[in-house]
Amino acid sequence: MTGNADESASSATVEDRREEWAGPVPVPSGANTEFWAATLEGDLLYQHCEECGTAQLYPRAVCTGCDAVDPPFEPSEGRGTVYTYTVCHVPGEPGFGDRTPYVVAAVDLAEGPRLLALVDCAPDAIEIGDSLEVRFWQVSDEAALPVFVPA
Amino acid sequence: MAEPIVAGVAESDLGATPDRNWLDNAGIATVRALEDAELTLADVDGVAVAGGDDYMPALVLAEYLDLEEPSLLEGTEIGGSSFENFCGHVGDAMARGRADVVVIAYGSTRKTGPGRDRSLEVTHPTDGFVRPTGLFRPPGAYAMAARRHMHEYGTTEEQLAEIAVSTREWASMNPKAAQRDPITVADVLESRRIAEPFNLLDCCLVSDGGGAVVLVSEEKARELGVPEIAVAGVASTSTHRQDISEMPDMTTTGAAVTGPKAFDEAGISHDDVDIAQLYDSFTYTALVTLEDLGFCEKGEGGEFVTGGTTAPGGELPMNTQGGGLSYCHPGHFGVFVLIEATRQLRGDYTGDRQVGGAEVAVAHGTGGVLSSSSTVVLRREDA
Repeated sequence: MTGNADESASSATVEDRREEWAGPVPVPSGANTEFWAATLEGDLLYQHCEECGTAQLYPRAVCTGCDAVDPPFEPSEGRGTVYTYTVCHVPGEPGFGDRTPYVVAAVDLAEGPRLLALVDCAPDAIEIGDSLEVRFWQVSDEAALPVFVPA
Repeated sequence: MAEPIVAGVAESDLGATPDRNWLDNAGIATVRALEDAELTLADVDGVAVAGGDDYMPALVLAEYLDLEEPSLLEGTEIGGSSFENFCGHVGDAMARGRADVVVIAYGSTRKTGPGRDRSLEVTHPTDGFVRPTGLFRPPGAYAMAARRHMHEYGTTEEQLAEIAVSTREWASMNPKAAQRDPITVADVLESRRIAEPFNLLDCCLVSDGGGAVVLVSEEKARELGVPEIAVAGVASTSTHRQDISEMPDMTTTGAAVTGPKAFDEAGISHDDVDIAQLYDSFTYTALVTLEDLGFCEKGEGGEFVTGGTTAPGGELPMNTQGGGLSYCHPGHFGVFVLIEATRQLRGDYTGDRQVGGAEVAVAHGTGGVLSSSSTVVLRREDA
């Protein structure tokens, strides 16, 4: 790994995969711009509404709990559990052909929000309820993907 | 309140239609459905179109068919359940006298047509949280939901396979079905892995084709003298969009909301239902819909479908044309559940293919990645 770990202690490893990544790349826009900027620093942000306490992802300009505009971001600890998962034997996107079989999970973050993510583990090394922690794969100058590994 | 009547139904050619585009298939299905209703394009007041891989599909089809001053143009896109959803909108328009003859149409070349644009730059604000995971959609998304159902309720891969087996039994009697050879649970379990826990035979076909349903007002139906297959209840909802992780509880779909509403509007209970045509993009889709519509308790879908409950001769005949699993699946299957429900209620078939004396059918659409649900109750009024 060629990790350029962030200076902040709570941040996760960011591995530069820009050269080898052949998959889709998120293009930041609007309310998700701050989220993607933070990924480059190894921080997984979620929105935590000051008005009503709602925690949400993906980022939105409205709080789905109380209708407040621009709920602020907080850093997640980057830990979660597997709500469910699948093992893809057929690549779902360009650039995933060499990766099969690979694991994609719906991850319940400790702070509440659920996130869809690649899990970097063997297909038989995951069960519902397992603990995971986040890493990042930088795939462009603008975004690093949250990818989870068994904790 | 006046209820729209299904006056005609038809498919275009199904399977592989390399010499047709989506509009050809939608257009051919439309004129065949009109012919079934003993109507022509000149009688049509409006069209309701979804899918179709086109911008403004209702306008495109209205132009393609050269409709004269159509009064109803409907293109609400909620995926595979769009056509059931249209039934409610068309019914509302008819109740206000805005239309008497409306065609609900679909056409696609999902199998032989050009593939979708798969740009690597994901500019959609929320797709950036989905596409870079590589999840094979839709199968992988439904598979994740199925996995959660297995975890919570002990549902097994064998039980999911029972749905594919029963559906194939129906398909074996349908000359239009793409897959007609009998299969066993073992065949399903041994078929190629797609997205765990799904194997190939847990997944719907990919085909070309189109379908159309002609809805007419009660007055028009009496004039035509067609069998009175009434749209007696409709309800639609959604739980999320394209990201399966946004689905609040992957073991409960919007059908739990739309089923009771549609049944209530139609004034029926489960005991009244003779046939179920439930969207089966995957085995799990049909299983969870059976539960959510209340044909069995939550979590007991696996037990319910075991032993041929939904097969020919079973207690609840389901997907009697062979479903999306064995008959056809050009992308939005919802129009085909309406077509088959109508044919069964009209008594179009002979032998074991016909469910005897059927008077009430439930047609249910599912769209997106278990995202939208729409239930229609069809009732034969003159039975």
